[in-house]
Amino acid sequence: MLLLPLLIAWTTAVILALLDGRRRWVGWLAIGAMTTVFAATLRLLLDVLQHGSREIVAGGWPPGLGITLRADELGIVFALVSNGVLLIALIYEVLEGVHERAMPALVLFLATGLTGLFLTGDAFNFYVFFEVSMTTSFVLATYGQRQREIRAALIFTVVNLLGSVFFLSAIASLYHLTGTLDMRALTAAAGTLEQNSITLTAAFLFVAFGVKLGLFPFHFWLPPVYRDTWPAVAAILSGAVANIGSYGLLRFGAEILSRELRLSAGVLVALGTISILYGALQAISVRTANEALAYSAIGQAGYILVALGIGGPVGIGAAILYALINPLNKTLLFLATGLRGWLVGAAFAIGAFSVAGIPPSLGFFGKAALFQVGIADNSAALVGLFFLGGALSLIYMFQIYQRVHWITEKQEQSSSVQSRVLVMGVAVLILALGLWPEPLLLASQRATDMLIGGR
Amino acid sequence: MNLLLALSVAVLFGAGTFLMLKHDLIRMAAGVLMISNAVTLFIMSVGLSRGQAPIYPLEEGRPISDPVVQSLTLTAIVISFGLTSLLLTIIYRVYTLYGTLRGPDDATHDDHEETTSELLAQRTRDESPRERSQA
Repeated sequence: MLLLPLLIAWTTAVILALLDGRRRWVGWLAIGAMTTVFAATLRLLLDVLQHGSREIVAGGWPPGLGITLRADELGIVFALVSNGVLLIALIYEVLEGVHERAMPALVLFLATGLTGLFLTGDAFNFYVFFEVSMTTSFVLATYGQRQREIRAALIFTVVNLLGSVFFLSAIASLYHLTGTLDMRALTAAAGTLEQNSITLTAAFLFVAFGVKLGLFPFHFWLPPVYRDTWPAVAAILSGAVANIGSYGLLRFGAEILSRELRLSAGVLVALGTISILYGALQAISVRTANEALAYSAIGQAGYILVALGIGGPVGIGAAILYALINPLNKTLLFLATGLRGWLVGAAFAIGAFSVAGIPPSLGFFGKAALFQVGIADNSAALVGLFFLGGALSLIYMFQIYQRVHWITEKQEQSSSVQSRVLVMGVAVLILALGLWPEPLLLASQRATDMLIGGR
Repeated sequence: MNLLLALSVAVLFGAGTFLMLKHDLIRMAAGVLMISNAVTLFIMSVGLSRGQAPIYPLEEGRPISDPVVQSLTLTAIVISFGLTSLLLTIIYRVYTLYGTLRGPDDATHDDHEETTSELLAQRTRDESPRERSQA
């Protein structure tokens, strides 16, 4: 049951790697496999929500010795969102026509890496799956193989390799300090450690996940990469791969090193604030749609960081909810920028409203949770910051809308009907989840309870 | 031994960072390789313990050296090998597309054509003076 999504993704990825992904039927085979992975993840989510977390120790070792795979509330919701984003992006690319034979297989390898990463209970196993997904996304970034994609892939690879190095060092020093790699045992042990010895480790982890998420001081690689990669790949990178950063911050920050997280609250809030303002202002000042969306991604990451810095049940709950909603918005917007035609404009507008947090879109609940954080913290400055961020995001979104969908200088050809309908479908999904948010709110509430209660 | 390891890690990491900041892509790849080797060494050093080899018929009473770090190191070496070869492949693609091994500048131009022609101009500049005089 727990292994099912992982095994399906892995075996089909290997099979697909041998086939030519440019053929239509191979693309649809990949979509079928990805749908199965998504369904298996959904099934596992329902199971976890009903019966609590599931756990398997590999190789029949006693728990604590062997490598654990653990599906708990936090991991499984992230796995569901990421696999959903991958599924949407894959359908989009197959409808638009795949250019390279490896692309469908790569998406399934990425699904393997991400699912494994979200469902592992072992810190080093987390690193291995992390590298599986990073390596796949390095290759995906080259998709298209023109000069700009290759340049983006080079920047992406080098910077993220450095991030991985920091993460690996942090894992090694955690092992040195606690003598274990099991996340549950790490959580128990980390609370009793001497403060000085673990602070550096916490900083390393923060840098590693900050690079993945594109937070303010580590953001410099992000705009050129999101600008120059293929729309479907940009959607995958911002909607699925960036989840590693927010999940890692939640898992290692809010669960394992919760004491260090509280200690660094000031720094987190400050960096988050800078991220929000810097991202929004840069997004207003740049000219192309993709680049503006890339800076917007930096700003959105800032919200997660601020909520995490405030902490407590309300703060962590808001961080989780926002980290789950944001990928959906980003996927819709990046996919919509790659298309032309009348349905696309409406879909983009819905995505823009969702980013700004206007009901009845899904983004409203993310913003509402953030405002709750500000009110719970009794801070007028925070509420003002969130309001300002939302207002600025409305400005840059409509600048993009104006440039892309209002002005049609040359007779641009509309994109194929199917992909436009797909993008509209994602927009409708965001609206529908905004009108009926209970499942998502429940799932994120359960994940919060798990994180807070797990201490 | 600890001091020696710490020094080697520091030197490897420092030299790797220095090389990574170079404009030449091969040097940059070498820098990445050195940094990942520094981390490999670091993993070894965190579990440094004297004792008998952890192979099953164990002698009673003698300490056992930690086998976990060995396996972690091995995994890290394999992963960094794979990533380095991928990085070199991407660099090769850069070379075939741009015709130069000096890093593709992230020009702020949105116009793709402009960037290409600039790089072509840069490429002719980088070629030997003899060829230029012929041109």
